[in-house]
Amino acid sequence: MACSQYLTSIQEYVDGTLGPIRRAELEQHLAGCEACRTMATDLERLRESASSLGDVRPPDGAWLQIAGRLRQEGRIHDVSRSRTRLPRLAWAAMAAGLVIAAGGGLFVLRPGTRATTAPTAAQTSTAAPPAGGNAPDAKSVESVQNELAAAQTQYETAITHLEQIAKANQASLDPQTARTLQKNLAITDMAIADSSAAVHAEPTSVAAREALFDALRQKVSLLQDTISLINEMRKGNNAGAAQVVNKS
Amino acid sequence: MHPSAAGPANSGRAAEMALVERCRKGELGAFEELYRAHAGRLYSLAWRMLGNPTDAEDLLQEIFLSAHRKLDSFRGDSALGTWLYRLGMNQILDHLRSRAARAGQLTDGMDDAAVLEDAMAHRLDAAAIDRVDLERAIAQLPDGCRAAFVLHDVEGLEHREVAVVLGVAEGTSKSQVHKARLRLRVLLGRK
Repeated sequence: MACSQYLTSIQEYVDGTLGPIRRAELEQHLAGCEACRTMATDLERLRESASSLGDVRPPDGAWLQIAGRLRQEGRIHDVSRSRTRLPRLAWAAMAAGLVIAAGGGLFVLRPGTRATTAPTAAQTSTAAPPAGGNAPDAKSVESVQNELAAAQTQYETAITHLEQIAKANQASLDPQTARTLQKNLAITDMAIADSSAAVHAEPTSVAAREALFDALRQKVSLLQDTISLINEMRKGNNAGAAQVVNKS
Repeated sequence: MHPSAAGPANSGRAAEMALVERCRKGELGAFEELYRAHAGRLYSLAWRMLGNPTDAEDLLQEIFLSAHRKLDSFRGDSALGTWLYRLGMNQILDHLRSRAARAGQLTDGMDDAAVLEDAMAHRLDAAAIDRVDLERAIAQLPDGCRAAFVLHDVEGLEHREVAVVLGVAEGTSKSQVHKARLRLRVLLGRK
């Protein structure tokens, strides 16, 4: 066991602050005391290891959160987003022309559809634990790209499912409403195609990926609203239908 | 100063000021560039000082949001990294102080004699200290001890500098760092 009366000297020796006289005295002691020598070696190794710890890469979602907050606060002008920003959808034109269609049964959205089918880009990019080193290595870039591809697939699956439901029940909508919805869907499709091309051209661009996920999210949201609208129209609920339109 | 020595430093500072100017104009890409260059260092500091990655990620966001708001006050008197580091450090310390106030204690909760006895009964293996194990062990240290250890042994500050940063006496910094090393010997060693 190390000698407690030498412990402060050992620590200062490791700090590099031990004066020459006490240092000489300690070195003489260390030469004959294995326990104190081991203690000094261990503490030195701990200090050296600590000083050589590298940077830890923050989770990828951290930047998305910061960018989102800056947008909310209106503090940024996002060039790449404005290039792919979705045009305002044409709900207003539809609101005036709502005609309640004769209804069959109500279509019921599967529980949790809105909450679970569409992951956010942030959810998909925060899963990986931080790894050593600040610069993303090839593996981490590949891993993030795989996660993004998986998230995109999930969105696309949700969109296909919702499109099937909307298409099967479109007869419940009056022709003008159906045309407006088609126009809105075409706008979101163009935005998805535009941002997909940007992601392919620049796979590491966070802004391009965000634009793509924004467009996918907007399409999911539009389809969900379409189904809500179909439900309200089938119920003959003018106020509920107007509420869906106004919310959008 | 020799022109060849001043050249790269000046051009580096000019590039920083140009980047800051683009950020001030609200260009998200420029701020992302700034973030990518400095986030790793600040996140590592926050994680090690706070002892957990969740708080560190939250604080990282606050640091960069605060940096964006304060960019107008950046005059280029120091390097951008130094300015950000100082800003980040202040937020980390504020967080630690409010955490200590919430917990109602400022002491490290470690009994000196027990720490010493335990440390003397352990020793490290001959194999190199694993980085992940060391990070985990640092996270297990009490707040005060961990902050002093991270600033001194990881960040390389002198005890007098640690004392100023943490607002404690120099002797307290020494005592905290020394206790942290002994505790780490126990956490990473064997009897």
